Amino acid sequence: MTIFVCEDSFEGVLTGVYDAWASHIHRKQLRIEVGPIGQREFFAEYVPVSANSEKTEKVMRSIHRKISYYAYRQCMYCALSAHKDRGDAIYRFLLLGFTYGAQVTKYLQEPSVMKVFEYSRAYGNEAHYYREFVRFSSWNQVYISHISPKGDVLSFVGDHFADRMPSEHFIIVDDVRKKAIIHPKNEECFLRFLTEEEFQSILSYEKKKDNYTDLWQTFFETIAIKERYNPTCQRNHLPLHFRKHMVEFTS
Amino acid sequence: MEVIHSYTLQEKLQILADGAKYDVACTSSGVDRNGKKGELGNSRACGICHSFSSDGRCISLLKVLMTNHCIYDCKYCVNRVKNDIPRAAFTPQELCELTMEFYRRNYIEGLFLSSGIYKNPTYTMMLMVTTLKMLREEYHFRGYIHVKAVPGAPDDVLNLAGHYADRMSINLELPTEESMKKIAPNKSFSTILRPMDQMTRNIQDHRAWLGQNPLFERSYGNRYLPNNIFSKGAKKIGLQEILGISDQSKGQKKEELLSYQAKASSVHSSDFPKAGLSSQMIIGASDETDYHLIRTSQFLYQNYDLRRVFYSAYIPINDDPALPSKEMAPPLKREHRLYQADFLMRYYGFQAGELLTESNPFFHEVFDPKCDWAIRNMEQFPVEVQTAPYDLLLRVPGIGPKSAKRIVQSRKYGKLDFTHLKKMGVVLKRAHFFLLCNGKQMYHIPVEENFVRANMLSMDTKRIVEKGPSYRQLSLFDDFGIQREGVV
Repeated sequence: MTIFVCEDSFEGVLTGVYDAWASHIHRKQLRIEVGPIGQREFFAEYVPVSANSEKTEKVMRSIHRKISYYAYRQCMYCALSAHKDRGDAIYRFLLLGFTYGAQVTKYLQEPSVMKVFEYSRAYGNEAHYYREFVRFSSWNQVYISHISPKGDVLSFVGDHFADRMPSEHFIIVDDVRKKAIIHPKNEECFLRFLTEEEFQSILSYEKKKDNYTDLWQTFFETIAIKERYNPTCQRNHLPLHFRKHMVEFTS
Repeated sequence: MEVIHSYTLQEKLQILADGAKYDVACTSSGVDRNGKKGELGNSRACGICHSFSSDGRCISLLKVLMTNHCIYDCKYCVNRVKNDIPRAAFTPQELCELTMEFYRRNYIEGLFLSSGIYKNPTYTMMLMVTTLKMLREEYHFRGYIHVKAVPGAPDDVLNLAGHYADRMSINLELPTEESMKKIAPNKSFSTILRPMDQMTRNIQDHRAWLGQNPLFERSYGNRYLPNNIFSKGAKKIGLQEILGISDQSKGQKKEELLSYQAKASSVHSSDFPKAGLSSQMIIGASDETDYHLIRTSQFLYQNYDLRRVFYSAYIPINDDPALPSKEMAPPLKREHRLYQADFLMRYYGFQAGELLTESNPFFHEVFDPKCDWAIRNMEQFPVEVQTAPYDLLLRVPGIGPKSAKRIVQSRKYGKLDFTHLKKMGVVLKRAHFFLLCNGKQMYHIPVEENFVRANMLSMDTKRIVEKGPSYRQLSLFDDFGIQREGVV
């Protein structure tokens, strides 16, 4: 058994898929895992893979060309999700995909197709939730927001807000991956990996209240109807882990 | 003498959100609009909720009243003229600022503007239109706006509101003329249905002019449902039936029927609410049956092409001889069943008449409407997953539009079994009673009404009946048609 160990990032995973494919090892003899590896297996050879943007691009391009746009999107979502075996799922999905073409996304009986479908759905749902539950606070005309998502939803969320607020300065910080989308007024937004120092200083702004926080809280409390009190229903729609950065629940 | 308070913005927000909270329509769906440089906001057709309040309802829009001063005396309403409550009003600027700042912080998806009737309907509606105009033209807001049409406001003011808003709601509140007279004495059927007719025509004219289908697009799956309520061939519930006018007296009541219809209007607005119209009915304040309510909904969907009808469980706020007592618990279960039935009509191809009948006018307390229908129509089951048509699959409890689509798409390429179905999102707990996979059931059980009923009942009450009996105890209420009094 050969195990390809790739970096925990979008490019890392897809490079892993590329290298596994290019190695010509039989599919039953290899596996792709996302690092860091915990306990190692006895009878396996570990091949470290370092992220390579050229290889990533090649993988994405051939999915788009040889399978379909829909499969491309599914693979992209899957690669951005946080599951440990996402690289392996994409690899096995592509083995089928390059044989059957565009219809492969409908073969939900196949475990590998189902897995990619499930992972991409979970990612898409989470990304949509963050579109809903992101909260900005204003500081000197700059709107700052913190999120700590499971999957890497930052660019997805960033795109949404770049369209929504093209003429505002805003920053969305992913606290888990320590990177941020920065959008200057009337310009294109860009992604930035934050240094520890930058991250700490930007973290301090979350605690600061602005004028509208209180108003929002008043509204939030008033709009609920006492006679219909139902925290279970609330928790179903808005699970607790999303509430970490939401002003109406934190202060 | 009127005492004038000067409230702070926070107090105003509290008073006016408190007055608006009983309104249920809080959706931001139906329009796709991209952002634009120099302006603020976009809109997504799927709708975006931003928070959920402690009653579990979504907060998508800033739901407030323009003012809670009101000249009307609707018995069920907090803001009725006879109630002694703090009264306040927003100025258009305050409301615009609040919307813009909330929107920038991603608290809300837009504005839901409603109002008490201040001075008169026309004045109130103009006040709301002024606010919307300011929000769109001075503040350059491109987010979602939902505006409430005030019954009795003139057509051209309504058209103008439709120009700025994405969705307009015209609330029916009560499904019969009688209960309206009793509970909302200042309103009447014609002051509600006539503007609804007028706005519908306005929207249809505009859509036709833009080269679109005058009727709104419905869920994609509906095209495979031959008898859904929106299809051309579907039997329509007409105005006569809702008003209870027989065919014989139709001639005499021609005048009356005409008063519900809009006159061909010479006023043409330059734009229309892109996300269409919605309406709302109050459940449990008057003594209508569920059957009557869902028939009314079907009538509204078919005749006015509404996007949504909302149901609001009546919450007793006021003491009045015309209303149920204040101790009554809000009929939340009933509201839930009505929403379920509403979705069955819009996405599953059910007609109101299939779900309930004149002799069986209330929904079952334990079974949801779809299970109830399936149990009553056991002769149509079990269905074979590999071959059943889409519309029949969709009628199996536990299968929804998404899982039905996945089944239909994937079964072309290979056999499905129950584990596949589970992963596709079918709720096997309910569905397995009604399905066959490659000719086999999931468990070896009789496909028989009493057996399924007993087992599903025990499932919902979380009692396990290993081998349910195929006999059952007779029930006074179900078998002998005895009605409990005051069932809500």
